[in-house]
Amino acid sequence: MMGHSLSTRSIVLLAIGFAVLIALPLVVKSSFAVDIFIRILLFSFIGTAWNLMGGYAKQLSLGHAAYFGLGAYTSTILQIDFNISPWIGMIAGGVVAMLASLPIGWLCFRLRGPYFTIATIATAQALMLIFLKFRDFAWGAEGTTIPNLGAAPLMMQFESKASYYYVVLGLLVVGLVVTWLIERSWIGYYLVAIGEDEDAAEAIGVNAPRMKRDIYMISAFLTALAGTFYTQYIYFIDPATAFSFSISIEAALVSIVGGIGTLWGPVIGTILLETTSTLLQSWLGSSIGGVQLTVYALILMAVILWRPTGLMGMIDELRRRFASHKPAQA
Amino acid sequence: MWETVAQAVINGLLIGGIYALVSIGVTLIFGVVKIVNFAQGEFVMIGMYISFFLANQFGIDPLLSLFVSMPVLFAAGVLIQHFLIRRVLGPNDMPQIFLTFALSLLLLNLALMLFTANYRTVHTSYSDEAFHLGGLYIPVAKLIAFVVAMALSGALWVFLHTTDLGKAMRAAAQNRDVAMLMGINPDRVFCVALGIALALAGAAGSLLMPFYSAYPFVGQVFVLMAFVAVVLGTLGNVIGALIASLMMGIAESLGVQYVGADSGLIVVFAMLLLTLAFKPTGLGGGRAR
Repeated sequence: MMGHSLSTRSIVLLAIGFAVLIALPLVVKSSFAVDIFIRILLFSFIGTAWNLMGGYAKQLSLGHAAYFGLGAYTSTILQIDFNISPWIGMIAGGVVAMLASLPIGWLCFRLRGPYFTIATIATAQALMLIFLKFRDFAWGAEGTTIPNLGAAPLMMQFESKASYYYVVLGLLVVGLVVTWLIERSWIGYYLVAIGEDEDAAEAIGVNAPRMKRDIYMISAFLTALAGTFYTQYIYFIDPATAFSFSISIEAALVSIVGGIGTLWGPVIGTILLETTSTLLQSWLGSSIGGVQLTVYALILMAVILWRPTGLMGMIDELRRRFASHKPAQA
Repeated sequence: MWETVAQAVINGLLIGGIYALVSIGVTLIFGVVKIVNFAQGEFVMIGMYISFFLANQFGIDPLLSLFVSMPVLFAAGVLIQHFLIRRVLGPNDMPQIFLTFALSLLLLNLALMLFTANYRTVHTSYSDEAFHLGGLYIPVAKLIAFVVAMALSGALWVFLHTTDLGKAMRAAAQNRDVAMLMGINPDRVFCVALGIALALAGAAGSLLMPFYSAYPFVGQVFVLMAFVAVVLGTLGNVIGALIASLMMGIAESLGVQYVGADSGLIVVFAMLLLTLAFKPTGLGGGRAR
């Protein structure tokens, strides 16, 4: 899986794929459809950020909403109280998330396996409670709307949904390039070694605590960017959406369903889950609560029981079966 | 002054008995099968709905429906271990964490689809009764729940320490490989551990029903408490989980009394974070994993 450098064929495929993604909002005019594309790109990006730590180093966090929320709140506070552009606020949010990941990681990494997961849930929930309680600096439970400035690209506000589409597409490209660079460098190998067996990795000289801390910082930074984007996109922020547990769940879910610890896993997982969810909503309407997550849970269980390598594992298997029918090539 | 403190301590202690049933289940599964059951709270929820429907349809007292909810959930535990958890046991954390997590998500959302998010309550003859002891107020339903919870915990301790099966479970918890060499069948022991843990969660649900509302998310409150209590009481330690649960109940109640009505959860998180920061191996010592 790892360390593959780019062949001519994959460069051509990537170029075609990228051209299609650029052209998509020019061809598809329905704002309903573009909205779904934006959701797919956004959760692919969040999943990609989660996958760096959860997928490669197997530190299974269910608290990434903490960084999504910190990113969203940092840029919104800077924008509303200090009139600073969300473009700058986005980076500031990323830095705040990075810094927050240090004490949170210091606490959570004391535990391993399932108890690490529980600790991450608790820290995200604790942050949500803090933002609910202290209304002086962050509007409390009722949240706030983002002032609508019309077309103000410098303030990350656009009139067409297509512009938001390109912003989140840019984020996903950044996430995938970061993942690709890490995956094929020594860092990727160290992370996978930690994920396989932390004690063994340390025994052969991997500084596991430092590696985990660093990848957690990168993962938190990227997740925070998504938080800023989402708030700007929906023009609203409150603790329940910004620190929503479902963000943490979906980040992990799309990666696991798509293929944990693979470059394209989170993207493929998001395409499957979001398409399923859209189809369900159009069939059943949104009247019955719980349908979407029931189906997500069933998909997750099926993947874990029958395909722990996710959809990427299935694709690899099919490709290998297909390739074995062809004459061997050099 | 001392009366408000004593009252808060009593309230906390009584609800702590329910937390103990949930925590003991979590710690038993962790000790024996070496997995964390993220769905434990949902089995409390199922126990509550069983009692609610029995009371609503047949007028059966929630305390009597203990004799339905416990066996039903014991059977559910055996089946879940046999058909689901057994298949993901191994060195890899991911399937174990996310299998029970998916189960929790599934049960919670199925409940939401089937029963809606409405709160369901059962009113019994003793729901509003209380003893008055000096200036103190002891609700009968909560007292019964506490006494039964302690009796069940005591019965589990006797089971683990006097019966062959109980000793086999403790042996498997201490060292699975050696236990297997001694002729203990791990599959059977694991199935019984899951069964007992889920039956305790079901009992917690039935005991709660006379004074607490059932709704799909109700289990989340209890499982969060249980996770903290299990860390605090040292993973896999039944007595530790029991004592920590009672402490958590008291701490939560004092927090509500002196910090504010919605600060119960903040106290819980603070306790978890403080435990992680200063005593990650739990109050009983031992190894964190």
